[in-house]
Amino acid sequence: MDNSDLQKLKVKIHDLKRTALDLKTLGSSIPAVERNTSRILASIKMLELNVTDLP
Amino acid sequence: MNGKIASGYSDMKEEQMYWNPLLETLPAEKIRQLQLKKFKKIFTWAYKNSRFHRDLYQKARIKPGDIQTFEEITQIPSVDKSMMRNFQGKNPFPYGEALCVPLEEVTAFRQTSGTTGLPVYQPDTWQDWEWWTECWAYVLWAQDFRPSDRVFIPFGYNVFVAFWAGHYGAEKIGCEVIPGGALDTQARILKIQELKPTALMATPSYVLGMAATARDCLGLNPSSLAVEKITCAGEPGALISSTKRRMEESWGAKVYDHAGATEIGAWGYECTAQPGGMHVNEAMFLVEIEDTETGKTIQEPEKKGKMIITALDRLAQPCVRFDSKDLIEWSPDPCPCGRSFRLVNGGVQGRVDDLIKVKGVLLAPSAVEEVVRAFPELSDDFEVAVGKKGDLDQILLKVELKPDYQEHRESLKNRLKNQLRITTNLGFLIELKPYGSLPRYDIKARRFKDLRYGNIPGE
Repeated sequence: MDNSDLQKLKVKIHDLKRTALDLKTLGSSIPAVERNTSRILASIKMLELNVTDLP
Repeated sequence: MNGKIASGYSDMKEEQMYWNPLLETLPAEKIRQLQLKKFKKIFTWAYKNSRFHRDLYQKARIKPGDIQTFEEITQIPSVDKSMMRNFQGKNPFPYGEALCVPLEEVTAFRQTSGTTGLPVYQPDTWQDWEWWTECWAYVLWAQDFRPSDRVFIPFGYNVFVAFWAGHYGAEKIGCEVIPGGALDTQARILKIQELKPTALMATPSYVLGMAATARDCLGLNPSSLAVEKITCAGEPGALISSTKRRMEESWGAKVYDHAGATEIGAWGYECTAQPGGMHVNEAMFLVEIEDTETGKTIQEPEKKGKMIITALDRLAQPCVRFDSKDLIEWSPDPCPCGRSFRLVNGGVQGRVDDLIKVKGVLLAPSAVEEVVRAFPELSDDFEVAVGKKGDLDQILLKVELKPDYQEHRESLKNRLKNQLRITTNLGFLIELKPYGSLPRYDIKARRFKDLRYGNIPGE
C-alpha cells in the first residue's frame, strides 16, 4: 500500500469515528442507537490501532 | 469436504499472509517509536485513573512527564500478581483501586486460572474485549486460520479466560467456531468426527489426552480426522520439540504455540514458518527482559531472563510493567516469515517460580518433559516429585509404559535415567506405572510437586 492510500485510509477512519460519535450523541435517548454505536466505536478503535496510530 | 465449504478465500493473495502487514512488517526503529509513544500514553492513563498505580509511582517519585526514553521506562516499578491480589475485592467491587473506568463500562469479568494462588480478577470493557480478540486475530492469522476454517474449541468455558478470546478472535477472522464446552472427552472427539473441524485450540496436555482417548476408548486414529492445525496455549509444550512432535504425529496436523495471560493479553505467537520461537506482538505490547540476578535489562539475544510486559492499549485495568515471572530470551535471528516483530527463542521456557534447586542444581520442569516425551515407549503423562530421604534431595519420576512396550523395563529405566542425567545433571528415581494410572488434565497440567518436607517412596 502506498503512502497516499494509507493517508486516505486514515482520513476515512477519522470520518467514521466522527460519524459514530455524532450518532451516539444524536441517539443518546434511544438505548438501541446509543449502545450499538458504543460497540461500533470499540471496533473503530481497533482500526485506529491498526492504521491511524502507525508512525 | 472437510471444514467449511470453499468460499473464495482459498486463493488469497500472497500479501494476505499477514493480519496487518502495516504493523507486522514495520521496520524495527518505527516499532520502537510506536512503543514509546504508546507507553507514555498508557502510563499517563494509569497514573491519572488508577489510585493503585498513582500511589506506586508517587512512592517511586515518577510522574508521566518524566518518561521520555526506554531507559527511563526501566526505572518504573513493576507490578506482580501478589500486588494485584491485594487491591482486588475492594471498591469499586470486586476490582479495587486499579480500575480505570466507571464500573458501568465494564462488560466482562474473567479471572486467572489460580495455578499460582488466589485467582486475579480482570475487568474488560467492550473496547478491551475487542482488543483481546484483535490480538488473537494476529495469532490465528499467522497460524494459517482463515475464514474457510471450522474451529472446534474443546474447552470448559467458565470464569477462567483461557480460550474465550481465542473463540472470538477466530470469529473475528471469519472462522466458523464450535464451542465444545460441556462435553466429556469422548463426546468431543465424536463431535470432531461428526462435524470435521479443520482446527482445534487446547492445552498441549489435552491435545495429547484427546488423542489417547480417541485411540484407546473409541478405536479412532486422530490423524484420520480432518484437523489440519492446532493452536496451543496455557502450557509451554507446543514449543518443546518432543511434545510438539508427539502432538503433530498423533493428529497429523501442524501444532502452533501461543502465549498470553489473563492479566496481560495474547502477546506472543508462533507463525507457519515455525522458527523454533514465538513472535512478540510488538505493536500491542512492550516486552522487556530482566536479568533475574542483577535486575538489569537484557538487550542481547540468547540470554535468559524474566519477562516484564506492558499491554499498550488495555484500559480498564492497565497492565503496565507486569512482572510475569515467565522466562524468555530474544532470538538472534529474524524470522523467515518476514514479520519484523522479534522472536523469543523456544517461547516461554519456564517460570522463575518453577525453577527449583535440587542438590544445588536448578531444575526446570520443561527439561524433564523434553526427555520423557522423546521416549516412544512412554505415554504422554508423567509426574515429578522432589522430596527428601534423610538430608538428601531425591527426585522421583513416575512414567507410564505404553501397552505395546512391556518388555525390557529395566533397560528402559536405565536409558531414561541416563538421558535425564545428561539433560539436567541430576539423578532420578524412576517408577514405571501401569498405562492410564497417572492423572489426566483438561486445562493446566500439574505434573511437578515439591514435597521437600516429606519423604518420597524409593524404587
